[in-house]
Amino acid sequence: MDAVWKDSSREGLIFGVVIIFFILIGLTVTLSDIVGNTLDLNSDSMIGNTRGLMVTYSILGLWIGIRGANTAERTWSTSLLSSTAAGLTTAVLVGVSVFVVGILDAADVEMRNYLVQLSRPSVQLLIFTKDPVSGSFLTAGIFIISSALGGLLSMATESQRNSQQWQAVFLDRFSNLSLKRVKETFHSSPRLRWVGYGLFLAISLLIPQFLSKYWNYAMGTVGIYVLMGLGLNIVVGLAGLLGLGYVAFFAIGAYTVGLLTAPAPISLQIGFWPALIASVVLAALTGILLGLPVLRMRGDYLAIVTLGFGEIIRVLIRSDLMSPYLGGPQGIRDIAGPTIFGVSFSSEKAYLYLIVIGILLAIFFTNHLQNSRVGRAWMAIREDETVAQAMGINTLYYKLLAFATGAAFAGVGGALFAARNQYTGPADHTLMVSINVLCLLIVGGMGSIPGVIVGAFVLKGFPEILRELELYRLLTFGGLLVVMMVLRPEGLWPAPRRRLELSAEDSSTPVLEDEASG
Amino acid sequence: MAMLEVNDIHTFYGNIHALKGISLTVEENEIVTLIGGNGAGKTTTLRTISGLLSPRHGQVKFEGEDISSTPAHELVYRGITMVPEGRGIFSRLSVSENLDMGAYSREDKSKLQDDYDRVFQLFPRLKERRKQVAGTLSGGEQQMLATARALMASPRLLLMDEPSMGLAPILVENVFETIKQINKDGTTILLVEQNATVALSVADRGYVLQTGEIVLKDNADNLKKDEMVRKAYLGID
Repeated sequence: MDAVWKDSSREGLIFGVVIIFFILIGLTVTLSDIVGNTLDLNSDSMIGNTRGLMVTYSILGLWIGIRGANTAERTWSTSLLSSTAAGLTTAVLVGVSVFVVGILDAADVEMRNYLVQLSRPSVQLLIFTKDPVSGSFLTAGIFIISSALGGLLSMATESQRNSQQWQAVFLDRFSNLSLKRVKETFHSSPRLRWVGYGLFLAISLLIPQFLSKYWNYAMGTVGIYVLMGLGLNIVVGLAGLLGLGYVAFFAIGAYTVGLLTAPAPISLQIGFWPALIASVVLAALTGILLGLPVLRMRGDYLAIVTLGFGEIIRVLIRSDLMSPYLGGPQGIRDIAGPTIFGVSFSSEKAYLYLIVIGILLAIFFTNHLQNSRVGRAWMAIREDETVAQAMGINTLYYKLLAFATGAAFAGVGGALFAARNQYTGPADHTLMVSINVLCLLIVGGMGSIPGVIVGAFVLKGFPEILRELELYRLLTFGGLLVVMMVLRPEGLWPAPRRRLELSAEDSSTPVLEDEASG
Repeated sequence: MAMLEVNDIHTFYGNIHALKGISLTVEENEIVTLIGGNGAGKTTTLRTISGLLSPRHGQVKFEGEDISSTPAHELVYRGITMVPEGRGIFSRLSVSENLDMGAYSREDKSKLQDDYDRVFQLFPRLKERRKQVAGTLSGGEQQMLATARALMASPRLLLMDEPSMGLAPILVENVFETIKQINKDGTTILLVEQNATVALSVADRGYVLQTGEIVLKDNADNLKKDEMVRKAYLGID
C-alpha cells in the first residue's frame, strides 16, 4: 500500500513541477489561448483564456490520473486511489504556487521584475479572475477531480482491452505495416528508392499550389535547410568531419549573390543566374582554402577551428572595416531575384519550386557520389583515417572534396535565401544556423538523405506549426533533442549502417543485409 | 638489387629521436622479421617505410626507386601494403566491405574475383562471415580480415605489424601458417613481431632492434641460436 502512494505521488510530483515551471515562464497563457481558440471558448480575463486554462488543467489532470493508475495494481479501487494520490500531489503543488503568486500580486509585488512572464493580467488568469484563495482551490479541485476521472478512464479502457481480442490483432497488423518496414524496404531496393523520391517530387510539386503565401514561405525555409542539411551531410555524415562553421559558406553564397546583383554597396547588378554560379564556385573555393590548413586536424580540433571560421565570417560582414564593401550591420538590400525568359520570380510559390529543384539536384548529386568510388573513400575516412590511407586512399584530397561539395550546397542555399528575401545581413548568418543544420542531421539521422528531409521538417517546419509556441521554440528544441537521443539515438530516419552501429548490442551478430558482394 | 632497401633512416617524433640510423634490406620472396621489445622502434620503422611517417635523414628504396617522401596512399599503387598494428580493420563495416576497401587501389578489376576466391580460400572463416560486421569478429578473425584486406590490393611487398598481438597461442600458430602460405604464393613479407619465437620460425632472416638501433642481423636459424636473442627475446636461459 505504501508503495502505491509513493509511486503515484512521484508521478504527481513530476507533473506538478513541470506545470509550475510552465506557469513561471508564462506557457500557461499560451496553452490556454490555444485550447480556448480551438474550442471557441469565451474568456473573462485580459490575456489568456480562463475556460481554456480550465480545459488545459483538466486534460493534464486526466493524464496525471492515467499515469498514476498505471503505477498501481489493476483494480478499480487501487486505480482510483493511486490516480487521486497523484492528482492530489500535483493539486497541492500547483494550488500552493497559484496561491502564493496570487497573494504576492494582491500585495502589489511587481513580479515581472523577476519573472518577465508573470504580468498582472497573467496572474489574474491563473486565479481565474477571482481572489487568490478561491482561485487556488479551484485549480487544485480541477486537478483532483480530473485525475480521479483519469484513473477510472484508464481502468475502463484496460478492462475493455482485455475483453477485446481484435485490438491485439489490429495492433499486430499495424506493426507489420509500420514505418520501420517501409523504411527497410525503401533502403534495400534502389528502384523503390527512386519511386520514393518520385513520390516526394510529386508531392513537393503539387503541395505549393494548395498552400497559403505564408506556408509557401515557411516551406521554402525548410527547403533551404534541407539543401544545407544535404551539404553538411556529406561533410559530417559521409566523410565524418565534424564542422561547426557551416554558416560561413551559407553567408558566402548569400553575400555573393547580394553583392553581384544589388545596386549597393557595389553596383554590379549582373543578374541572378551568373551570380548563383559565382556563389557556388566561391563557396566551394572557400571550402578548399579553409580545408587545406584545417583538415590536418581531426575530431574536436576540426570542430573548434571551423566554429571559429564561421564566427570570423560573421564578424567580417558586420564590421565597419568592411562595411563599404559588404554593407556592414545594415546588410545588403534590393537583391535581384531570378528571371526566366524575362519572367521574374516574385511569388513565394515560385521560389519554393526553385528550392525544390535545387534539392532534387543536390539529392541526385549526393546519391551519385555516395555510390561511387568517392563515397567509398569517404566511408573509409570516416571509419579510420590512417587505415584509409593504408588502403591507398588520398585522404586529404577526398576530405577537401567533401568540404568543397558541402560548401557548394550551402552556397546555393545562401544564394536562394538572399534572393528570396531580397535582403541579407549579418543577423542571417549566426552560429545558430550551423547548429540548426547539425541538429537536423542528428534528429533526422546522420548520413541519410531521407533523414535530412525529415530532420529539416521537424526542426524548421514543426516550430512553424506551433507558431503560438514560438517563444518556446528553443525549449521544444531542447526537449525534443533530449527525448529523441534517448528513444532514437540513431535519428528518425537513419541510414541503414548507422542504425546498425547504434543498435549493435541488441543482437549478437549484426549482419548487413544489403549491398552484399561476392 | 634488393626489393626493399632502407639506408640509415632517422625518424623523429617531435624532438624524440625514435630511429637512430636503421638500415635493412628485403630480397624478393623473402620473409624478413624485425624483432625487439617495447619501444624498440619496430612499428616506427614500418610506418616510415610505408610512408605514414617520413624520415628526417636517410633513404627508403623500393625496387630501386626512392620512396622516402612518397605518401602512404601512393605506395599502395606501387605494390607495398601494410597490415596495421592492432589489426586496424573498419570495425563498423561488414567483412566483404572491408575487403572491397582493400581493393580500392586496384585499377585492374578483371582479376578481382580471383582475389576474392584466393583470400576466401586462405581464410574460409571469412567467407562464412562475409556479411557480418567486422567489429563483432573474434580477435583471430579480425587479424585474418586485416591480412585478407591487405592481400586484396595484390601487393608485392606486405608489411605486417605484430600479427600475433592479443591472440591465443593456437591462433598465433594459425596466423603464421597463413603468413608462410602467402609468402609461398609469391608475396614478399616484412614482419614486425614481439613474439620472437614464432617470428623466427617462419622468417628467412631477422633483425634485432633495440632503442631505435639495429643491434643484430642474421639468418633466422642463427638468431635462434644466438645467446643474447635466446636470453632477451626467447626467454630461454
